[in-house]
Amino acid sequence: MDISQIIQFTFSGLTLGSIYALMAVSLSIVYKVSRVISFAQGEFFVFGALTMITLTGLGVWAPIAFLLSILVAALLGAAIEQTLIRPVLNSPLGTIVTMTIAVSLALRGLALLIWGRGSHTSEPFSGVEPIRIMEAALQMQVLWILGTTLLALLVIWLFFEKTMLGIAIRAVADNSFGASLMGISIRKVNLLSWSWGSALGAVAGMVVAPLYFIQYASGVLPMVNGFIAIAISGLRSIPAAVIAGFFLGFVEAYSIGFVSSQFAEIIVFTVLIVVLMIRTKTASRTSFDEKGM
Amino acid sequence: MKKTVMLLFSSAFFLSLTICGGAVAADKIVKIGGVYPLTGYLSWLGEYYKKAATLEVEQINKAGGVNGYKLELVIYDDQSSPEEATRAALRLVSRDQVVAITGTATAPITGAVSSVANKNKIPAILSSGYDVKADKEPFLFNTAHPTYFAIGRPFMYLKKQNVKSAGLLMPIGSLGEIGIANSKRASQDFNIPIVCEERFDVKAPDVTAQLAKLRGSTPSAIFSFTTGEPAALVAKNMAQLRFDVPLIVSHGNATPGFLRLASGFTTNIIVPTGKIMVPESLAANDPCKAVIVQFNNLHQERYGEPANYFSGLVADAVMLIIEGMKIAKSSTDPVKIRDGIENIKNFPGIGGVYNMSATDHYGTKMDDMVLITIKEGNWTQIQ
Amino acid sequence: MLRRYATGAAILIFLGLYPVTFGATSTYHCAIMIVLGIYVILAVSLDLLVGFAGQLSLGHGAFYAIGAYTSGILTATYQMSPTGAMVIGACLTGVIAAILGWSVLSLKGYYLAMATMGLTAITHSVIIGWQSLTGGASGLRDVPAFHLFGLALESYDSYYYVVWILAILVVLACLAIVRSPMGRTLMALHSDEAAASTLGINCSFHKTCTFVASAVFASIAGSLYAHYMGFLAPDDFSIFTSIHLLVMVFLGGVGTLYGAALGAIFLKLLPELTHTFQDYELLGSGIILILILVFMPQGLWGLLSIAGRKMLAHLSVQAESKGVRQ
Repeated sequence: MDISQIIQFTFSGLTLGSIYALMAVSLSIVYKVSRVISFAQGEFFVFGALTMITLTGLGVWAPIAFLLSILVAALLGAAIEQTLIRPVLNSPLGTIVTMTIAVSLALRGLALLIWGRGSHTSEPFSGVEPIRIMEAALQMQVLWILGTTLLALLVIWLFFEKTMLGIAIRAVADNSFGASLMGISIRKVNLLSWSWGSALGAVAGMVVAPLYFIQYASGVLPMVNGFIAIAISGLRSIPAAVIAGFFLGFVEAYSIGFVSSQFAEIIVFTVLIVVLMIRTKTASRTSFDEKGM
Repeated sequence: MKKTVMLLFSSAFFLSLTICGGAVAADKIVKIGGVYPLTGYLSWLGEYYKKAATLEVEQINKAGGVNGYKLELVIYDDQSSPEEATRAALRLVSRDQVVAITGTATAPITGAVSSVANKNKIPAILSSGYDVKADKEPFLFNTAHPTYFAIGRPFMYLKKQNVKSAGLLMPIGSLGEIGIANSKRASQDFNIPIVCEERFDVKAPDVTAQLAKLRGSTPSAIFSFTTGEPAALVAKNMAQLRFDVPLIVSHGNATPGFLRLASGFTTNIIVPTGKIMVPESLAANDPCKAVIVQFNNLHQERYGEPANYFSGLVADAVMLIIEGMKIAKSSTDPVKIRDGIENIKNFPGIGGVYNMSATDHYGTKMDDMVLITIKEGNWTQIQ
Repeated sequence: MLRRYATGAAILIFLGLYPVTFGATSTYHCAIMIVLGIYVILAVSLDLLVGFAGQLSLGHGAFYAIGAYTSGILTATYQMSPTGAMVIGACLTGVIAAILGWSVLSLKGYYLAMATMGLTAITHSVIIGWQSLTGGASGLRDVPAFHLFGLALESYDSYYYVVWILAILVVLACLAIVRSPMGRTLMALHSDEAAASTLGINCSFHKTCTFVASAVFASIAGSLYAHYMGFLAPDDFSIFTSIHLLVMVFLGGVGTLYGAALGAIFLKLLPELTHTFQDYELLGSGIILILILVFMPQGLWGLLSIAGRKMLAHLSVQAESKGVRQ
């Protein structure tokens, strides 16, 4: 095994991790505000990517297409929250999650109708030539993903720490009854969390798409990996979700590189279970998020 | 109000269960079935099957049908799942009373449908990498070229190019398993050693780790028996790593979809395929040329795109059923039709000149495959 | 009370006569009912775990797989009898569930769901990886039909009875567990585990027992599935299978057992309707599920029981008014 190969494993981990981290952030946002694990996030990933591909295909300038796609996704998320999520908010949590699954099916069906069964390619933001160190190569697009993730973290931090609305949302998340007594509209908060979440999911799709190919069902796997990442990080902190996403990417890449490409999946899930077990034995008893629900 | 809704719901379900399919038509009609993946991860393939089969059945009916019967094609979606495929096949066999079944992508789905077909004694002319054991599954035929041909043909070419070693990057899944087994066999037959072997998840966004490992053993060619997006990803990552050896992928990549995905990469991609992909370069005395050119033109006219490897597979399946009916002089007895198909000799189809027998339910030869590569956004044949 | 037995009896009569009435029109109709029976076992046993013990598990797919492949391998490769293979599968699953349950059940909520999802994913990968035993991704062929004491039950009509007798037994077993003192303990545990343990309830023991019971039932369903298909492929035993089962439970109404059965029947029959939508099938299924969840947030069973109660109330009001006139 030479150093060049080890560098490539690291690059691969970085590539995979960046995707998982960004997905984890988008899942985290929805959860942090509305306490719902949304299965629809994978579909916003796809909608964002495919909308941008369609717009740039029609000749729209890429940055404008980017912003337009975000807008479309945010509106879609808001519409879904208003019409479909709102009615089931008083049901058991499992029913709400089942609703997000139903929504994801409908969205996937819609994507199938709009964009067909084939795969679509998307242009990398800054050219095709990768970064090279010895024989190893890293796609430039990964840096864009990293940058976007950091930017998203910054915006989220600013919002939750520095704006009135953000602080209000944290209040709702911590204690929704008390918050409503203070006059904070829970409805507005849920609406916001869904539009944000879908916008972020769409952003994830748009920056990740140039790495490979996107079709109507491509959102499922990144979303599942996002679920694993936030399970590892513990649903509490969004920066932790990012770290967990990268951790997951590296575990996968290094398992493939150093152990066996055939059993990498088994290793990843075993690590997940082990981390969960360790965390539950050492977690504080009063942790509100002990259940994660 | 809610009660009525509930009542409507439940009656709708019982109705959908018990309603018999199909109206009585004026002509004599015989039904053949199609189990195609119209949704799920194989849906891109299902679409090719559906188009080709519909076209072929139309042509046959225009020419007067067979033995005085017109054909009706009944298609069900197997949702890319063996369980749903079983259900679709059962529906075809018992509700629609088809006399033959076409379709299926991937070996596990073929296995599921074969199980139903053989139990119910209905011939199934399917098209996938499934390894047909004709003695155990007499009702199953396969128009896809045996995987060994799809791998042996490129090995033959590599031998001529004096390639010294090969590496395998095989997907986790049935194609990978079939790919590994046949590559090892071809490696022995053509004396090209396999020096390294890795697996990958077809849904993975990146395979550079595996490629870096493979490169360490310096193979002179990479075999990645995978289809569609994953194959394009391997090509993309190889180009990214400047891993400049030929990449041989599965014969399932002879499609416009893959061409679109992989055109931009510098990687030398070799796709084994049937002759349908290169109609213009066929010799004038090639027995299959007429069938291929005609089908390709019809397909282009009807759908605005040329026929591809998969279209050819299913069109051949339909043609073989018709030929079987002619030989058996029966359009309605599935067992006789099966016997008829097994007795097909010297029948020029799209995939080759078919010669079936009790031990060979494929009917084609390795020479029926050609190699194509992508040059300037188009398929060209490698000589 | 009488009403409940009357409905139960009506259902049993319908099921008993099905193969000679609706089922007789085509073998396909019998085959569908076999699939429904298998999924009723899966969904109801999952509801026992999720709805009553409150353990959100995505691991059902794993136990379904272990049962299916044990039966498949033992009967296809080793020519064992199907009943013997089913029992071995159930025991093996029980032991695995006991070991896994004891470790993983200390997790709660989302974390438990993800850990159990991991179990399903690992089982799936092991099945694919262990090709020499399981046939790998290409599948396990030639699983023989079910036979009992030399009686070949090859036709769907006869196999139907095997499946549904077992399905009814499983549902009755789950009902018995729920109504027993164990069941009440489970519900106490479900609503507040900390409080329950202060009452001296050994929570992990009860949770593990329920986990094992539901796993064993899932394994039986898997064995039945193997003999129905005659062929096994790992594609049918993925994390999406586990998710699909959970959707059945919540769609039908979690914590009601009958709801899970309804959910299973509904979701398995839905493709019969949606396949006519052609390209709109996926969108159509999503919309139908959304509509159900919006208009019947208590699930299909919730709606049925409300409808049933209203109907009864309506009938008894009528009867009363008649009585008054007399």
